[in-house]
Amino acid sequence: MAITPTIYIVASDQHRNGKTLLARLLADYLLLDGRDPFLVDTDAPDGPLRNYFPGRTALADFAAIRGQMKLFDTILAAPGRDYVVDLPVRHLENFLAAAADLDFFAECKKLGFRVFFFYVVDNSFTSLKAAKAVRAISGIDLFVPVHNKLVKSTWPEDEGSLVIPLLSAPIASAIGNRRFSIRNFVQGDVQGLTEDMTMELQNFLYEVLNNLSNLEPVLTLKNLRN
Amino acid sequence: MKPTLILVGADKGGVGKTTMSRALLDYFARKNILTRAFDTENPRGSLHRFYPAITEIIDLGNVAHQMKVLDTMEGASVPVTVVDLKAGNLSYSLDLFERIGVLEAARNGMFTLGLVHVVGPSIASLDEIGEIAKYLQGVEYVVARNSINETNFFEWDDATYRKYFTQISKTHEINIPKLNEMAYEQVDVAGVTFKDFIDNRAADGTAGKFSFVLRGYVRKWCAENDEEFARVKMLQDILGTRHT
Repeated sequence: MAITPTIYIVASDQHRNGKTLLARLLADYLLLDGRDPFLVDTDAPDGPLRNYFPGRTALADFAAIRGQMKLFDTILAAPGRDYVVDLPVRHLENFLAAAADLDFFAECKKLGFRVFFFYVVDNSFTSLKAAKAVRAISGIDLFVPVHNKLVKSTWPEDEGSLVIPLLSAPIASAIGNRRFSIRNFVQGDVQGLTEDMTMELQNFLYEVLNNLSNLEPVLTLKNLRN
Repeated sequence: MKPTLILVGADKGGVGKTTMSRALLDYFARKNILTRAFDTENPRGSLHRFYPAITEIIDLGNVAHQMKVLDTMEGASVPVTVVDLKAGNLSYSLDLFERIGVLEAARNGMFTLGLVHVVGPSIASLDEIGEIAKYLQGVEYVVARNSINETNFFEWDDATYRKYFTQISKTHEINIPKLNEMAYEQVDVAGVTFKDFIDNRAADGTAGKFSFVLRGYVRKWCAENDEEFARVKMLQDILGTRHT
């Protein structure tokens, strides 16, 4: 997606709409692309991301100042690699306020990072409004509205978005298992899935990974036209 | 321009007097105004620890030391001198300055004399305020309400507050906002100025390893301080930013 070290922030103002799945897909995508992403899961003590990426995930409780230090200082202390940050709903506002207070995005730029902000826009106008407010924040290099087909989205189609296609319940549950590796699946290890399931997941991943790799040119073009 | 002598004092310890002195010295440093300071907390000198290059530790009970303060003002090579008065010694120090002629020199226009009276959140910290009133003629008196390391709100109700401070206008009252405890502690441990902490510079001048987050909080706190200081007439005069 990008050769420049990039910070991928995944957030939403609504619960249960595929945020962590997206963060996970992003991390796997980057790994498959030969990158070396480090993940920060700010949803301590649960930290679902750490289950999938042990060894490259830091767990930080953003509610505490130590958690803020862990997130921001970890990233700024080791520039030159990609970061994926999963922000739970309850920390979104705090994160945005702290980032503004501390001038975080400007500091990222100084260290050669780009900032991509993925925002899952839910099926409500509150969500749409919140998403547009985040898009207006300066310092974000690419704002990516995310449309998860499972929950639908109020984001206008003609403005472009990252689409996460439908995924049937049995497959969602199978890949939700902490031992299931999306990366290994893409590389041919079906990890016990039936043939039908394998086919469906392959289609899903083909579409979503493809969308990810075309994201930047597509969105940039849309933005130029609008 | 006339030099300025700023006394920073409090009736009791632990209300953030030294922090106030540091905030002032820091403010001037950020505005490129040369300063020097006297720390009367002899022999420990907590202000000296943060500003070793410009701070001299003196004993106000010692006549030779008293004269140093006045001599500095006559030399006038540095526009601002800050004196951090030992805790609990405010009226004693003012009386002393009256006796050795500092207050009179100020009244005669030799220099501008300011008193920053730091008060903490408890009512007890107001007890001596009546006693110092008689020294305040010709002195720029500023009350600094300090909340830097406090989590609770000021105990004073409006009536109590007005009883003590009826004569003080808004332009002579500043509020030092709260600074995140961890940030405050890190600056303290590092023994550096707020400015150096923000700029990530260690006490020995080498690059520091301070947390970006904590630096950010200190920077924000300094910006809030600047807004408060910008309202004070005496400080406007020093910076030449006074608009009439």
